[in-house]
Amino acid sequence: MDKRRADFDRFVADSADTLLRTAYLIVWDLGEAEDLVQETFFDVARRWPRVHRMERPVAYARRILVNRALGGAGRRTQRRRELTASLSLEPVDEANAHGAIDQRDELAAALAELPPRMRTVLVLRYFLDLPEAEVAAAMKCSLGTVKSTASRGLARLEQALRPTHDPRSIPT
Amino acid sequence: MNQQLESDLRAVLRERAGTVPGTAAARVARVDYRPRTRRLRPPVALGATALAAAAAGAVALIVSLGAGTSSAFAGWTPTPTKAPPAQLAAAAAGCAGSPTADAPLKLTDTRGPFTFSIYADSQSSATCIKGPSNTAVHASGSSSPVRVPDDRILLTPAHVGSYQGPAFSLIDGRTGAGVSGVTLILADGTTVQATVDNGWYLAWWPGAEQVTSARLNTSAGVVMQNVSLADVCRSTAQSGSCAAKQGPPGSGTATSVDGGNAVRVPPGSGGSQ
Repeated sequence: MDKRRADFDRFVADSADTLLRTAYLIVWDLGEAEDLVQETFFDVARRWPRVHRMERPVAYARRILVNRALGGAGRRTQRRRELTASLSLEPVDEANAHGAIDQRDELAAALAELPPRMRTVLVLRYFLDLPEAEVAAAMKCSLGTVKSTASRGLARLEQALRPTHDPRSIPT
Repeated sequence: MNQQLESDLRAVLRERAGTVPGTAAARVARVDYRPRTRRLRPPVALGATALAAAAAGAVALIVSLGAGTSSAFAGWTPTPTKAPPAQLAAAAAGCAGSPTADAPLKLTDTRGPFTFSIYADSQSSATCIKGPSNTAVHASGSSSPVRVPDDRILLTPAHVGSYQGPAFSLIDGRTGAGVSGVTLILADGTTVQATVDNGWYLAWWPGAEQVTSARLNTSAGVVMQNVSLADVCRSTAQSGSCAAKQGPPGSGTATSVDGGNAVRVPPGSGGSQ
């Protein structure tokens, strides 16, 4: 029992940082990310006798994290929209804004506006560098869904970086 | 798909992940998640902190690797490992605010969940350590320009032992221009491969085992160097700190490679930087 408990403590210590940063990129809010990771660890702790025998417990934890993150995505998206609306006090001069804002800032802003599932695919793929198959496992979806979602996500980001008068449509 | 976009996306994600304060993950990791059942004992305290001070060269280190003493070095490997982007981002974030954070990054050494980084400019250097318990460790000191022969390395006399908790040893320093690989041989026969980059090398290992020799891959082939504490005391003129050599873990020790002929040169006289 002591060894199992020590294994769990080590698992928490080793994975907390990456899980927290991943959660933060998925939900775009540090407070919620901390809550998510804590909920994830509580789940893992309850199942630890089984999880610790898995080849990669962190993959299991990641699946729980993603599932929880996307489960509450609707509430979070709504809350962020409300916050965004309350903060938009001045009209923005689009032309000047594009000249002044660094492209990476625009990319970050575009990422924040992506649908949660789309952003999650991109985070798992481009932040954690997970193979598509592992992304699919974490999100409990097919490989094809991961590929198409990633492709559409990148297209949306690319579109967001173009001048606003670009008539091409934004994939949804 | 646009490779530039993918590259920018990785950078943006790393950058944003790097804004998560180091204390946040530590806070998350400190929570006791185990279910309350009769079979489980009260939680073991996490985050054991170690404090280390290294003598010589005005080097001062504050070390806190945390995560409990028994597993403080879990995941350590004798050869450097490839760090996932998230780990590097976490290290960069944890090192922000270190004493010489403005100095350029010279080298990053990763072994399992541990990331050591050297920041240095012509005046000072710092070693920043990021362990899995999310506690950053900083080392800072002055770094006078040195000239290192092409096929030799200079070992900064900065063996580090812990003050509380398990000991570990750290060596970093400059390499000659022809050195592409460094393997340290310890007194117990084990070997530790250093990370070599940018004219610097770094290696560390759990415990306080002394270095006895170093195997260097150079442009002229493999070169062996023996270790002599006396040599580094001469070459770095650190007789005061060298007097405290060979102390127990935690006292700070000093080591260098014999035959390195590393010569301290005055600032501005063209030393290797």
